[in-house]
Amino acid sequence: MIVHINHVQPDRAALAGSVLSELVSLAGEGQIQPRILENLNVHLDWVQYKTNFRESVTLRRAIKGEELLPWIEVGVDLRQLQPETLKAEFLAALKDGLDGSSCSANRVYLEPFRPMRSCLIWRFNDLFWQHLPLWEAASGKGFEKALPGGTSDANHPEAVADAVADFWTLLKDLDSHNQLPPEIFVLEIGIGTGKRAALWLDRFRVLDRERGTQYYPRIRFLLSDYSMPTLNRAMATVREHRDLGSFLAVDALDPFKSLSFLRYKVLSIHLTNVYDNLPTDEIVVRDGKLYFVEVRSYVPAAAAARISQSFGIPVSEFVRAANRLLEVGPEHVHPSGAERGIAFWREVWDAMRLEERFVAIQSILDAPLPAGVKPGLLENFVGEHVMNQRFQLSSGAVESFLNTVPLLHPRGYLQVQDIFVTKLEDYSRMFRGPGKMDGSIVNWVNGALLAQVGAQAGYDVHFAPFQYREGSRTSILYTTQRE
Amino acid sequence: MPGWLERLKTEFFARRISRQELDEIHDVAVKAAIKDQEVAGLDIITDGELRRDNLIDYFAERLPGVQTDHTSKKFYYDFYDSVVRGKLPMASLRLTDDFKFLATFTDRATKFCVTGPHSLVKRIKDEHYKNEEAFAMDLARVMNMELKELVRAGARDIQIDEPYYSGFPEDINWGVKVVNTLVEAVDAKITLHICYGNRYGKPSWAGNYRYLFPAILEARVHQLSLEFARRGGEDLELFKEFPNRFELGVGTIDVKTHEVETPEIVAERLRKALKFVPAERIRVLPDCGCLHLPREVAFAKLKAMVQGTKIIRKELGG
Repeated sequence: MIVHINHVQPDRAALAGSVLSELVSLAGEGQIQPRILENLNVHLDWVQYKTNFRESVTLRRAIKGEELLPWIEVGVDLRQLQPETLKAEFLAALKDGLDGSSCSANRVYLEPFRPMRSCLIWRFNDLFWQHLPLWEAASGKGFEKALPGGTSDANHPEAVADAVADFWTLLKDLDSHNQLPPEIFVLEIGIGTGKRAALWLDRFRVLDRERGTQYYPRIRFLLSDYSMPTLNRAMATVREHRDLGSFLAVDALDPFKSLSFLRYKVLSIHLTNVYDNLPTDEIVVRDGKLYFVEVRSYVPAAAAARISQSFGIPVSEFVRAANRLLEVGPEHVHPSGAERGIAFWREVWDAMRLEERFVAIQSILDAPLPAGVKPGLLENFVGEHVMNQRFQLSSGAVESFLNTVPLLHPRGYLQVQDIFVTKLEDYSRMFRGPGKMDGSIVNWVNGALLAQVGAQAGYDVHFAPFQYREGSRTSILYTTQRE
Repeated sequence: MPGWLERLKTEFFARRISRQELDEIHDVAVKAAIKDQEVAGLDIITDGELRRDNLIDYFAERLPGVQTDHTSKKFYYDFYDSVVRGKLPMASLRLTDDFKFLATFTDRATKFCVTGPHSLVKRIKDEHYKNEEAFAMDLARVMNMELKELVRAGARDIQIDEPYYSGFPEDINWGVKVVNTLVEAVDAKITLHICYGNRYGKPSWAGNYRYLFPAILEARVHQLSLEFARRGGEDLELFKEFPNRFELGVGTIDVKTHEVETPEIVAERLRKALKFVPAERIRVLPDCGCLHLPREVAFAKLKAMVQGTKIIRKELGG
C-alpha cells in the first residue's frame, strides 16, 4: 500500500494522522487481502467544494480495454470524513471494488460509464441555467449568493473602474494613431445579473464625459449568454444604456459561431465565472502511466428510495423520472405540478454522485481531447516529467478560448476572471473538482494548459490575482498579442 | 504548413533530429508544396517558404553582422533574439540555393519571396545605427546584392514582403525609399507585398490602405500585392483615386480562415477589383502565405482561386 498525502488542512492534521494509523492497523490486522494491499494506492485529498459528487471514501479501478487492472486507488476526502466511520467505509469501498454486485446494490446508476465531459451532470448544469428563476424561487436566494462572499467579484466597483480606465487608454492610443474603428465593440460572455455590464457602462460614460472624448456613443456593448432568463434579467439591469446594448444568445463553447461577423473587430472581451462551469474531461497520471477518467452518475440506493417515496414514484421508475426531468424540465416532470417537480430536481441533484474509473491510454492523444488543440502541444504539456498527477483538460474552457480569440481586434484583449490553476504541479495539492455550486457545477480551470493553448493561437496568456477583495481565490486571465 | 512538418521543426529545436535531417525533410516538403501548387493549377510557383521558421529568422541568421542567440527559442515559430552591433558587411545571404531548388523541381514560372528591410528592422535589435531608417537603408544595400545574385541564378519574379508597414504607417515615406534602394538595378519583376500581418494566422494590425498613398506611388516596383479577401474590397477605390502604373496583386483568398472559398466567391472578388483596375493589370493571389492553413485546406483554397480566375477569364473572353 502506498499512501499519497496530497493535502493536509492545518486544522485537520490530526485527522490525517488518524487515517494513516487506521490504514496501518487495517493492513496489520490482515483485513486487506495481500493481493489488494500490494496494488493499493490511497490518496488523502481535500475536496475543494463543500458540496460535490464524492463520498468520503471513494474507490477507483483502472481498465485497459476490457481488462480490469489490478491497480486500485482509494480517495479519502479529509473534509467529509468522519473518523469513526473510516474503517467501515474503507472496507466497504474495497469490497465494492472487488465485488461489483454489492456496489450495484447500493447505488442507482443514472447512466453507463462515459468520459466525464459527456456525463449527465452537465445536462443538470444546463437545466439550472435554463430554469434559473424556478431554482432561485425555490431556494429563496439569487444564484450569486452561492458564491464565496455571496457576490461576484466581477461586480467589484474598483475592479470595474480600473478595467474601464485601461480600456479608455487603449481607445485613446488607437485614436491618436487614427486607428480607432467607428464602432467600438465590447463583448461580455456569461453576463450573470448584468450588473457588471451596467457598472462598466456607467463608469465608461462618466470617464468619457470627464475627458471629453466622445467614445461612449460609439460603444457597441454585446451582452451574451446561453440562458434566456439571464439575458432577460440583464436587459433590465442595463436599461439606462439600452441604445448601446445588444443581447445575444451565445454558446460560450463557441462564441464565434454566433458572432463570426465580428471577426477581428472586438476590442474587449470579458468573461467571469464561465470557464469554471464548462464541461471538462480529466487526465490522471500514475507512476508515469496515463489514464483518462470515465464516470457514471448515481444516486445512493437509500437516497433514491427516500426520494421516490417522497414524490410518489416507484423506485423502479426513479432513473426514468430523473431522465424525464432533463427532457421535459422541472415544470412538467411531476404530475402534481411545477412545485413538486422543482423539489424533485433539487433533491436528485443534491443526492447525485459520480463513480469513477480510469481508462489506460498509451498517449494523451488517445484521450477525448478539446477540439482545436494541436496534438504536439498536449504531448509536450504532459511531458515526461509528470509522474503522478490528476488534472482537468478544461475541455470546454479551451474550446471557448480558441473560439473566442478570433473575434479580437488586433489590439483587443480577452479578460477572464475565474479560478485558475496556473501551474500543473499545483494540481498535486488539492482535488480541484467538480463541485456543486447551488444547482450548477464548478471546476477549477487549467490555466497552465490555457497558457500553452494561447501561445499556439498567438496570444501570451497572463494571470493576475484579483486584488480587490481579500481572500478572493479568483484571478484574471488576460491576453496580449504574442510577437 | 503540414502539422507533421511543424512537429519536426520543433523536434530540431529539442535536439532530437539533426540539421542535416531537417534539411532533407525541408527538401521533401518543398517538393510536395511545388507539386500541390502545380496540381492546383497555379501559373506561378513558390517554394512555400517551408524552410523558414518565420518571416524574420531565416534572414536574421543569414545576414552578415547580425548575431542571433540560438538558445533563445524552443518552438520553431518563435523569434530568435537577434542584434546588430556594427555596420553590416557585404556578404551573401545564400538564398540562391533555395531558388535553384525551386527552379529545378518545376517547369512553370517561379516567384521568390524575400522579407523586406522595414520588417526586418522591427524585429532585429539595433545597437549601432542612429535610427531605424539608417539601419533599414543599410540592410537594403546588403540585400540588393542578394537580389542581383538571385537574378543571376535565374529569378525573374521577386517579391518583397513588408507586412510591418501596416503596423507602422508613419514609416511609409522612408519605407518606400528603402525598397527603392533594395531593388535598385535588380533586373526582375518586383512585387511589393503589404498585408496586415499573418503571424499565427491572424492579423497583427487593423486599418486601411489609405496610409500607403501617395508615398507608395514613388515605389519602383511593378506590382503591389495587397490583402483584400479578408478585409473586403473597400480600399480598391484608392486605385482610382490615385492613378498609378502598378499591377495589382488582388488577394482573393482569405488565408486567416479555414473556410474554403468557392470559385464563385473568388470570381466575385475579382469582379469588384475589375471596377477599379483594368484586367491586364490584375494578378490573382492569396491574401498572404498559406503557412498557417492545414495542407488540405490550403490546397482546396488554391484550387478555388484557380477556378475562380477561370470564370473571370471566360467572362473577359480569354
